[in-house]
Amino acid sequence: MFGWYESAFGALDWHTLVMLLIGGALIYLGIAKKMEPFLLIPIGFGIILVNIPHGGLMTFTSEGLPAKGTLDDLSTGQIGPLNLLFHYGIASEIIPLLIFLGIGAMTDFGPAIARPVSFLFGATAQLGVVVVFLIAYLTEWFTLQESACVGIIGGSDGPPTVFLTVQMAPQLLGPITLAAYSYMALVPIVQPPVIRLLTSKEERAIYMEPQVREVSRLEGILFPVIVFVGATLLVPKAAPLVGMLMFGNLLRASGVTQRLAETAGGPFIDSLTFILGLSVGTLMPAEVFFKSQTLAILGLALVAFVFSTAGGVLAAKFVNLILVLLKKERINPMIGAAGVSAVPMSARVVQKMGQKANPRNFLLMNAMGPNMAGTIGTSVLAGIFLGMIAH
Amino acid sequence: MSADWGEAIKIAGGGYGITILVLLILAILGYVLALIVKKASARQDKEGDDKEKDKA
Repeated sequence: MFGWYESAFGALDWHTLVMLLIGGALIYLGIAKKMEPFLLIPIGFGIILVNIPHGGLMTFTSEGLPAKGTLDDLSTGQIGPLNLLFHYGIASEIIPLLIFLGIGAMTDFGPAIARPVSFLFGATAQLGVVVVFLIAYLTEWFTLQESACVGIIGGSDGPPTVFLTVQMAPQLLGPITLAAYSYMALVPIVQPPVIRLLTSKEERAIYMEPQVREVSRLEGILFPVIVFVGATLLVPKAAPLVGMLMFGNLLRASGVTQRLAETAGGPFIDSLTFILGLSVGTLMPAEVFFKSQTLAILGLALVAFVFSTAGGVLAAKFVNLILVLLKKERINPMIGAAGVSAVPMSARVVQKMGQKANPRNFLLMNAMGPNMAGTIGTSVLAGIFLGMIAH
Repeated sequence: MSADWGEAIKIAGGGYGITILVLLILAILGYVLALIVKKASARQDKEGDDKEKDKA
């Protein structure tokens, strides 16, 4: 510009302009529509940052992966500051795991402990993960490893998605994380039609007692220990995810580390969340985003959520068949849909639909059990993928 | 890239099945834990009641 330095205008093309618009759209959705603002706003801003030509915040290899480098490379402009943030925070898996610790510290597993059948729905609601894994592989656009990472979007849980994708398919981290968090925000739109399709009006109106039983402090303390030991002895590769989740939960449940739990679930997780969001956003320069794989991921993510919802609901209907045979009261099958661990959105969807079908019904606490159990289900399945698929 | 369908189905089916099995085991452990805690607390309450009766 004026012969003194190079401005970005000359390097703008329609790809980068579209990406700037996408970044702006995500920020709009976060602020105006309040859709997952903690994530969509940093992701949107990160997309804008990385798509300003010559900005230098993040550099990429020819394969579209963030370049690795040292502080010396930073001073020479071979890498940008966000390359270091990505490699030390995201590629090292530290940030997603610490976010999961914070999530554990914020989570009350009481509704799941009070009604153990919740764990079944938290598991069966992973159906979308395996269905999309197979579909993605069928297209032959994705390898086994990439298909697993696309499938895990159906678990509707951010940290396991990032954790698995960094290890198995880091080149897809940007579009996969964008799809995962965007569809989590769309759960109130995606789930109801699936639930209505699979349940009758009479089933949706099944009344359940609003309160689950009181869970003792001792149960709350033993639960994270038992889950961690039990799950990781069975699926060792799930140890990082389940371990962090349960450690955070133990900080909360112990009653003697309140300050630690409040910090982990408060400023700590908030700081890590916007760093994660910003870093993920900067993984989407135009040349990485505009690939047919990205559009396929966005389409497959929707399929994953649909099948995950279906998996939970169908499991609940199956449980009802057994309850009828045992002459016990049926459960409302919609609570199975809350096994999709978009906490607490799925549970709120079930609550809202339950009240619409039967104004006496207050299903929130019954739905929170499967909602919480779903986070354990996704972590376990991510661990199984890591154990079964070479990477 | 040719797909190895046997491997994919093994991973998908096995993965889903093992996830359900693991969470069922955790559910059973949780149920047993609740029973043990309930019995222990009932026993404590009974011992407390007996001590109060003895004092009276």
